[in-house]
Amino acid sequence: MSSATMTAPREQKRHSLILWAGLVLVGLHIAIALLTFVWLPYDPTAMAGGRLEGPSLLHWLGTDRLGRDLLTQMMIGSRIALIVGIGAVAIGAAIGVTLGLLAAFASKWLDDALAATLDILIAFPTLLIAMLVVAASDTANLWSAIIALGIALSAIVARLTRILAKRVLVMDYITAARTSGSSWPKIVAIHILPNIWPTLSVNFALQFGLAVIAEASLSYLGLGAPPPNASWGRVLQEAQGTVYTAPLGAIAPGIALVSLAIGVNLLADGLRDTIDPTRRAR
Amino acid sequence: MLFVLLRLLPGDPANALLGVGATEQQIAAARAQVGSDQPLAVQFIGFLGNIARLDLGTSFVSRASVLGEIGNRMAVTLPLTFFGFLVALALAIPLGIIAAVRSDKWYGAAISVISQLGIAIPVFWLGILLVTLFSINLRWLPSGGFPLKGWANFGEAITGMILPSLTIGLVMGASLLRYVRAATLDVLGSDFLRTARALGASFPEALIRHGVRNGAVPVISILGIELASTFLGAVVIERVFSLPGLGSMLLLAIQQRDYPNVQGVLFVSTLLVLLIGFAADIAQRLIDPRLRGRARTLA
Amino acid sequence: MTTKALLLATLLAGVALPASVLAQDFNPDASIRIGSLYEPQNLDNTAGAGQGINEAFNGNVYEALFQLTDAGSVEPKLVESYEASEDGLTYTFTLKDGVTFHSGDPLTSADVKYSIERVTAETSKSSRKKSLSTITGIETPDDKTVVITLSARSISLPYNLSYVWIVNDAATDITATEDGTGPYSLGEWRRGSALALERNDNYWGEAPTNGEVIYTYFTDATALNNALLTNAVDVITSVQSPDSLAQFTGNPAFTVTEGASTTKELLAYNDRVAPFDNVKVRKALARATDKARLLNSIWGDYGTLIGSFVPPTDPWYVDLTGVDPYDVESAKALLAEAGYPDGFEFTLDTPDYDPHPIVAQFLQAEYAKIGVKVNINIITANEWYTKIYQAHDFQATLQEHVNHRDIVFYGNPDFYWGYNNPEVVKLVADAESAGSEAEQVEKLTEANKIIAEDAAGNWLYLYPQIVVSAANVTGYPINGLNSQFFAYDIEKAE
Repeated sequence: MSSATMTAPREQKRHSLILWAGLVLVGLHIAIALLTFVWLPYDPTAMAGGRLEGPSLLHWLGTDRLGRDLLTQMMIGSRIALIVGIGAVAIGAAIGVTLGLLAAFASKWLDDALAATLDILIAFPTLLIAMLVVAASDTANLWSAIIALGIALSAIVARLTRILAKRVLVMDYITAARTSGSSWPKIVAIHILPNIWPTLSVNFALQFGLAVIAEASLSYLGLGAPPPNASWGRVLQEAQGTVYTAPLGAIAPGIALVSLAIGVNLLADGLRDTIDPTRRAR
Repeated sequence: MLFVLLRLLPGDPANALLGVGATEQQIAAARAQVGSDQPLAVQFIGFLGNIARLDLGTSFVSRASVLGEIGNRMAVTLPLTFFGFLVALALAIPLGIIAAVRSDKWYGAAISVISQLGIAIPVFWLGILLVTLFSINLRWLPSGGFPLKGWANFGEAITGMILPSLTIGLVMGASLLRYVRAATLDVLGSDFLRTARALGASFPEALIRHGVRNGAVPVISILGIELASTFLGAVVIERVFSLPGLGSMLLLAIQQRDYPNVQGVLFVSTLLVLLIGFAADIAQRLIDPRLRGRARTLA
Repeated sequence: MTTKALLLATLLAGVALPASVLAQDFNPDASIRIGSLYEPQNLDNTAGAGQGINEAFNGNVYEALFQLTDAGSVEPKLVESYEASEDGLTYTFTLKDGVTFHSGDPLTSADVKYSIERVTAETSKSSRKKSLSTITGIETPDDKTVVITLSARSISLPYNLSYVWIVNDAATDITATEDGTGPYSLGEWRRGSALALERNDNYWGEAPTNGEVIYTYFTDATALNNALLTNAVDVITSVQSPDSLAQFTGNPAFTVTEGASTTKELLAYNDRVAPFDNVKVRKALARATDKARLLNSIWGDYGTLIGSFVPPTDPWYVDLTGVDPYDVESAKALLAEAGYPDGFEFTLDTPDYDPHPIVAQFLQAEYAKIGVKVNINIITANEWYTKIYQAHDFQATLQEHVNHRDIVFYGNPDFYWGYNNPEVVKLVADAESAGSEAEQVEKLTEANKIIAEDAAGNWLYLYPQIVVSAANVTGYPINGLNSQFFAYDIEKAE
């Protein structure tokens, strides 16, 4: 007897644990991000302390080179990370789902061409595509980074959408709907999207984590959100030169980033098991 | 596609050629020299023609042959990707299988949790951590760099590759591990495994005989994508470890609007991506004879 | 810090760093590994190669008629002797005997003419082009004699000629190869990584005290420090953060030297456009800048405050830090007088590399206090060059200016910042055609005071010039004037 079937109840318990862990981590970041709108320890740009102060009662995580409070920057970072993640996924989803559906419905050769293009694009790392898009935009701001990440993510979404939609398209009820004269938009809205949505949404959660990490890498290369946006990637990059004298400046944003990325990944895993009960049996 | 993307970059390439207080005539002359005064269609046809002849031109900035420079950079990036890939495989396959087969044991679960960490960690952060530990504190390995003489100075070249390969391998391994684990779980729950065991095969024997064949196919297509994106995504690692690879060439070329270099790197990368996809496809067919009759798809 | 003060004192006296007691034990064939952040883009200093090519090649691979020494004096290099006519409009140079290029060709006057014309050519990207514009003719009566005629007196002609590399006129493609007269020839060059210089055994002068020099290039300052810490390089040409120094100071395995710097961090306004065409606005911003705090943020206890574009090592230096001292209240008052009682908004084009983004954030926070809103726009070095330096399409920008004696830029109304004060233009021109050095110094000191009073730019601070090496390596230049880094006197003990 295989171990998998024997331990099904324990697996289930573990899955809900994963979901909860994910919810707690992501919830924490959302709560902090919301809190920043009503309360912050300091004005994020205020040079409230001395140069590279260590942790103290006044500055829990110390200060950066300009004497700005690091905790404040971390909290703002949560807000920016969520904006980056949600923005990039929204753009990626809008472009990706449209393209994917188009390919699924298109004539054979157009579908093939789109599929082949997506297969090539998908092998280009998110970071690389974002790099090119950032370089192509004239003025760098937080939105150019978000749009770049969104475009980069769209290939992954489009590919998945196409595969999922094709799977649904061959179902009997679609054929029935088509013969009964339903319009394409109606079929998409009523039959296809609701069917592929659960799998897509899990994927979006994963993309979210990817976008947040990619933004940090862009910032590391000097292509991310420009100052004074205190994105974690930017804080990390600025703290790099002082990593030996004030290591907290590099450690804190790293931990913040990793905790959010793990949070959304766990959430995605947990959601998949909840939404897709057939996989839970494994 | 590449061509269109490139022309979207702001700034005229002629500027890259000129200096302080260039006159209108000089700018016009420089445009004629680099061909940016021609209509786009003419530029495009020229571009296709050059690619067909494998002539990628010379850099605007360094005036060096693009193809030659790509060759030099490949001498860093190819081995780096390859070693990173080996590390990833060596980690992901055994650990992924253990994580699946022993998911009820504490270490099976621990492997899954640690792999989550590996996926969430930014690659440059991990690189900096490894440098701090192994180069600065322990002084075991160099903190980066590639010898001037290249692979002719084998010892130095290879020791310089260890930390960056390890960094790439850990991150790539973590995401591969999850796929290996999922594929193994699929195999474990499948009917043919149960049949094989009922017919008297031992568990490891059944797993190896039937499991590999069925589990490897989806993993290989993921491997292909991971390999290609590592190859192109090494730019961050190259930055952390000061390695003169293809990624840093591309980054610099983008910043300097050095079109021939950008074009060349993207062209060669696309070629490589296609090759890897093709290789993955062949590997899948070799492993699973059922796929041999099927039309080729990259999915 | 007494040792630091002492070092600075020896240096200002024009004395080279005292050689270590162990210096006799150096290895004459040693390979010296120099770590740097400035990789040249190509090998031609008239083709936009960047400051890296000066660091690697100036004095090492190429030589000029004169050399600007690390102590700051201009000395004959490839000229045996020279004389100027009474009116100062004709200079006659006699070249040294026995000088050969790396290719084996002897140095002739034709090479000198060719080399000067390369720099002044229309297609040249050299930033020194303008300073040689008074040259009207170059004659070569014989192989060893060069006669230069000028349209106006030029007191700094020898100095300006120290930028002109003497290149073999038969050389082809010097963007990727070289043919100079220096003590080293180019070895291998791996782009993005390292460049090697090999000892030239047929050198006409004194032989180098080492066998080869390898410039190793880094894009990341932390990686560069790590390389020195782990003994992957012997010396770092300029340290870019005080925090990385903590690893080297007090560690007997390393030597830290602070030299005289000429690198100025500048907030440059476009003086042509409103509101920066108003001197009161410029003065208000200068007074709203807590420069001491900024310098401390970036450089800790290092660096120097300056009141104008002139570093203390230039002969026309005077302490002008008191002209517009930090005073937020008077800044507000000046803004109100200028017609901006509620402040204004401007875009600050900020190069994407250190320290500019962090300086920009500092200024943004400071100027918010007087109601001035700063929008930070991050640009690449390439964009800076085309948008700001060439097209003058900007409101304000940040830039580091590395050259010494570059106050003359304020005498050029066409320069990127567009400062146009006829009095300064005249003073700078008069200083150049001055009959004596004393007169030149007097005129430029006067110009210096005027630009400070006009707050022509906002001179934020002077970088420290810090070189760190392994303790067994000595003899390297510590001032690195104009990014030069002469390698031929470096000794490495085994």
